[in-house]
Amino acid sequence: MGVPRAPVEPPTPEQAAFLERAMTEYGKATYNFALRLTGNEADARDLCQEAFIRVYRAWRSFAPGTSFLSWIYRIVTNLHRDELRRRKGRYQEEIPEDNAPQEFGGARPLAVTPIDDYVDRQLGEPLSKALALLSPEQRQVLILADIEEYSYQEIAEIMGCSIGTVRSRLHRARALLRRLVERAQQQQR
Amino acid sequence: MMINDHLSTDLLVDYLHGELAPEDDALAHAHLASCAACRREYDLEVSLSETLRAAARAEEREMPSMISALIWERVRGARPGPLARVAALLRPMVAVPVVAALLLGGWFASPYSHPGTRPTVDAMYYLETHAAQSGSPLSLQPGPPALETSMIDGSTSPLIAEHVESSHVTDALDAAF
Ligand SMILES: [Zn+2]
Repeated sequence: MGVPRAPVEPPTPEQAAFLERAMTEYGKATYNFALRLTGNEADARDLCQEAFIRVYRAWRSFAPGTSFLSWIYRIVTNLHRDELRRRKGRYQEEIPEDNAPQEFGGARPLAVTPIDDYVDRQLGEPLSKALALLSPEQRQVLILADIEEYSYQEIAEIMGCSIGTVRSRLHRARALLRRLVERAQQQQR
Repeated sequence: MMINDHLSTDLLVDYLHGELAPEDDALAHAHLASCAACRREYDLEVSLSETLRAAARAEEREMPSMISALIWERVRGARPGPLARVAALLRPMVAVPVVAALLLGGWFASPYSHPGTRPTVDAMYYLETHAAQSGSPLSLQPGPPALETSMIDGSTSPLIAEHVESSHVTDALDAAF
């Protein structure tokens, strides 16, 4: 991702310890969350790196007793949204036309490198393909509600929207996902 | 909602996530016990969630070590910026106990610099961004993008601490993990 890199201040020992622990204990979860949001390793790496830099800078803002994971998911979610805005010029709520579900029937492009091949195998299942066809916000809400198992209230806090918006996004995302998965299964037969 | 009404898919989704009000939850539970059609629909929603979780588990990976290496490289390689030097000059004016090792973050987190409830970094970003935009002498390097002000904005996030006293640094660290 092309997020401009602001200067980073050198760490105090406490700050370095905080970062170390944050990465040790939450690096994997954060990376996997970023991977599901972006659908590719390169963007997930950048997103993850940028998120921990934010954590590092803002470490004293973290409220003891609150969920660190919610906090960093919120950071990742915001960074991801900003990056999409930056790339597209404006944020698209709906699935773009050129990314329509007919892709399901198409041949998979040849993998160029072993890593691409690995990613393709890992993310190439019907479900992941279907997830990739949802809008970023629909994907976020689905990941948070069904994979991370957060409550609507927690998701609203992470995504910075109302509970009503979480509810309607989740309903739309699941309805769409069901249709996409059903279609993919029919085409596999 | 009545016990004999069929349950909409949306309602089943909310039920599945435990997000119905207690009365509605009880009604949905009772209806599901007696209606095979709704139960079929509910089972489909359950299996969708289970499939999602299973796929997520199957695809789970370790964080590549290059990520933490790059983060440490950025963090360790950092030299104090112009703003940090300004902050260091101003810090003696602040009459709050600040851990000596804390530089910029310590200063901006003090109640003196922000009597309200803003978190540390928000103020820092605001200043940096503002300086960058106005082209003031503070901004010898390009500031962070404007998005950072909203990025960690305590006014919209109950998840972010309003203020952590510097004397509680080690407590915070322990409680955080
Ligand atoms: Zn029914």
